[in-house]
Amino acid sequence: MGRVVLVVRLVLADVRRHKTHAAMLVLAVTAATATLALGLSLYNASQSLYVQTRAATAGPDLVLLAPDTGPASTAALKTLANDPDVVDHNGPYDIVYGTLTARGYSSSVVVHGASPTPGAVDRPLVTAGTWVRRGGAVIERGFATALGVKVGDRVVVSGHTYPVVGIAVTAATSIYPWSAGIGPLGGPSDYTGLLWLTAPEARALAGRDLTITTALDLKLRDPDATEAFRLAHRGLSVRLNLHSWQFIAVQDGHIVQNTQPMLVVGGWLLGFLAVTGVAALAAGRATEQTRRAGLLKAVGATPGLIGVVLLTEYLVLSLLAEAAGLVVARLVEPAIANPTDSRIGHVVGPAGLTLAATTALALAAALLTTLPPTVRALRTATVAALTSTAQYSRHRPWLTSLSSLLPTPLLLGLRLTARRPGRAVLHSCSTAVTLTGLTALLTFYAQPVRGYGIASSLPNGRDVVDRRLLLAVTVLLVVLALVNTIAMTWMTAMEARTSLAITRALGATPGQVSAGLSFAQLLPAVPGAVAGVYVGVVLFAFTSRGPMSMPPRWWLVAAVLATLLATAALTALPARLAARRSVAHTLSAEAA
Amino acid sequence: MQDAVLAMLAKEPSHGYELRARLRRSLGPFGEPMNPGQIYVTLARLEKAGLVVCERSDAEKPDRKVYAVTPAGQERVAAWLTEVGWPKPDLVEFHLKLVAAAASRLADPVELVAAQRRELLRTLREAQQSALSEPPGSPATALLEGVVLRLQADLRWLDACERGYCRRRDESEDA
Amino acid sequence: MNESTPLVRVRGLVKEHGDGESWVRAVDDVDLEVPQGQTVAVMGPSGCGKSTLLHLLGGLERPTSGEIWVAGRRTDGLSERALARLRRRSIGFVFQAFHLVDELTAAENVELPALLAGRSPRAARRRADVLLEQVELADRARHLPSELSGGQRQRVAIARALANEPQVVLADEPTGNLDSAATLDVLRIFADLRATGQTLVVVTHDERVAATADRLISMRDGMFVDDTQLAGTGTGRLGGLVGLEG
Repeated sequence: MGRVVLVVRLVLADVRRHKTHAAMLVLAVTAATATLALGLSLYNASQSLYVQTRAATAGPDLVLLAPDTGPASTAALKTLANDPDVVDHNGPYDIVYGTLTARGYSSSVVVHGASPTPGAVDRPLVTAGTWVRRGGAVIERGFATALGVKVGDRVVVSGHTYPVVGIAVTAATSIYPWSAGIGPLGGPSDYTGLLWLTAPEARALAGRDLTITTALDLKLRDPDATEAFRLAHRGLSVRLNLHSWQFIAVQDGHIVQNTQPMLVVGGWLLGFLAVTGVAALAAGRATEQTRRAGLLKAVGATPGLIGVVLLTEYLVLSLLAEAAGLVVARLVEPAIANPTDSRIGHVVGPAGLTLAATTALALAAALLTTLPPTVRALRTATVAALTSTAQYSRHRPWLTSLSSLLPTPLLLGLRLTARRPGRAVLHSCSTAVTLTGLTALLTFYAQPVRGYGIASSLPNGRDVVDRRLLLAVTVLLVVLALVNTIAMTWMTAMEARTSLAITRALGATPGQVSAGLSFAQLLPAVPGAVAGVYVGVVLFAFTSRGPMSMPPRWWLVAAVLATLLATAALTALPARLAARRSVAHTLSAEAA
Repeated sequence: MQDAVLAMLAKEPSHGYELRARLRRSLGPFGEPMNPGQIYVTLARLEKAGLVVCERSDAEKPDRKVYAVTPAGQERVAAWLTEVGWPKPDLVEFHLKLVAAAASRLADPVELVAAQRRELLRTLREAQQSALSEPPGSPATALLEGVVLRLQADLRWLDACERGYCRRRDESEDA
Repeated sequence: MNESTPLVRVRGLVKEHGDGESWVRAVDDVDLEVPQGQTVAVMGPSGCGKSTLLHLLGGLERPTSGEIWVAGRRTDGLSERALARLRRRSIGFVFQAFHLVDELTAAENVELPALLAGRSPRAARRRADVLLEQVELADRARHLPSELSGGQRQRVAIARALANEPQVVLADEPTGNLDSAATLDVLRIFADLRATGQTLVVVTHDERVAATADRLISMRDGMFVDDTQLAGTGTGRLGGLVGLEG
């Protein structure tokens, strides 16, 4: 019991002393796990939402669409409705293809003729206003959100004006903008929204040359046996399209098709950034950890206890951050899994796979950052540990001669970088990740935007959502990278303060010293930035479906330059602060 | 020893046994082996040299005599206080000089220490320069090194004396 | 600047630290003039402000009030940049803790001030070799500080201080971390420097170091309490010290 208390006390004391490190780790891992959790659970979330909507609206198991109107179609549909496997049905009802204008937008629309009193199958849930009545239209919720239409507004459908009396959700069609199961005449459809009118009004609408399809909703005895039903009724004389509920569910998933890789890859990239940033910090504390291990060994603690103390802190913080990340993901999920607003339902907790992946990420972050200094601490002999001063950097004669040829700020910068090559590599990686994100963003924005067809002036909902999301992930990456850069600059400045004080005593101006510190960060950033661009392009090509168009070269160059400029600017402030400290103060503190 | 006794008399005339007591106090444990009659021998010599007079001569009882300093004696004390020759290994003489100066207020002990330090430093400088200019491997180097180290030790002692007298002065100023 | 203008001149120098409870006057109204070619030693108990005085002379700290003139230029009001340039050209520093850069060899350490002053790497290296020769460490030029003894490190530091031919060398307890043999080596170097006419201000509490100076200043509580010339007076009393007086 006493040992547990000791461990807890040591961990708490350590966290108190290094609040910034703890905060950085928690922030980074939270962002990474939130993103990853979101990405992995999106598909499941969209499926779950569909299932909940289906339950709430008594959604049909099969939707039959007959593009040819006429007695033969009607007869075929009626036969199917009376099939022994069918428990209940709705319809046949008319589907009219038209165009809708509202609030300055225009769009293709399918109009379903509905009964004012819905039956046992397909009962759309009214979320605002009332259900259809004579002279009133009800708009599907996804469509209404896209148009910005509310109850009481007026819409014009193929020349006829209707007031909007209600907004509803249904499970009988795919989400907006795929509300039309098939196009007119049975072919592929444009992006369309859904509107309900009473059956006579729908028929009246179709009076002119507008196309009609007849539809029938079926509820099967065995809801899962849709495929069996389809196979059983192949080869009919009438052309029929059968859409099962499973098919509609899968269609729902398409809206998050692009988002998923963005978030999953983004999550791992953020995790990578977390590791690089905190690894640099952990390395900076390596001397102190080594000394602490030595102290504990000297008072008789076993190596096991030491390992526990050294690792517990980061592990606990990581797991806490993971929990926070999962909470954040849970909160954000509805907005991302149901971006069109076409479904209803509440969010479920993270699935087993998601939990496993995020825990793996958190553990990896904690372990990777603390393992090297921990192992070193445990291996160092006790005496050496107790008296260890700062690690001696290796002597690199070729680098020293090279740097002597350069002007003073570059001389200082190159030598500073060489003192901690590990940190330089980490900084490179951090910059690479930032540019990977930026490149992905720019490439995405460079893809041609697909509109919704000639009839529609609405923006492509999926594209809008995707862009916003990718922007959000990129912003997270950039913010984390910024924090990493500032932390690393500050650490370099602190570690090198004696060296820099000596250089100032020998005649280097504060301006030269702070420029040197900035260069020390810029030098590793350059190869990182260039590598990041290539990795970004490759990643995008790997995860995108279909052909990819490259962004203009100058965009990428501008991104690299902007990142480097930002690095230089960011490092300038801590560098300047460090360079302004009193030389005498630093040197006498060291000598003391 | 003679000069020290003389300096102690410079403050005010005293009996022989008073002087002896003062000396014993100043010397601490080093004063134990002092011969009780020694002081009277010294006083007699000083009288013979004309530096001291006996104020009341009562031949039967020597300890009733009161001794006082003559003008010549005063001159001698003044000269002795400012002399900066360095005594042989034992430091008694300088120590007594400081005690006497403090008691008689004829000179500032801190000043005396400072003057002595200067002198020793000059000597140290000479010894060091000689040591440095000796050819390497010369046997005289060892001797010079020894002189240097002893002088260094003496200088440190002077620092300690100075600190002590400074503190005493500060305390008396505050009082 | 002619011969009679002092190289270092200080008027009414004051340096205060801290506030409230911890307010202290490290240097209290000090006046000083050091002519060219003189070696001055400043002695005093620890905490008397002698190191602070040296830092102020070298521009490593700013005075609270007073004037400082080095090589004819007023330095107390200069910007950090100008002070750095001044240190490059006119002032060389030697510290108690040596303060060599650990990952550079002796030669690379010594050439650093020359590089900072903008000289070509080759000229800087040549100068470094000459100086290491002067302090008798030519055979150790390629060694790292961790491979050198304390005395050798300090000699490298002295060579470094001389790299840009400074007009004055400021040394802060140069033998503080050295044993007596190493101290002798440093003293020898200082003696050589004196012989070449180098102006030197040394802060020390080693009497042997002080004894090499031409002039000794004693400091206590931030003030000068004594200022003596040591040079030029032979006492001839060496014999008396060992009981060999005739």
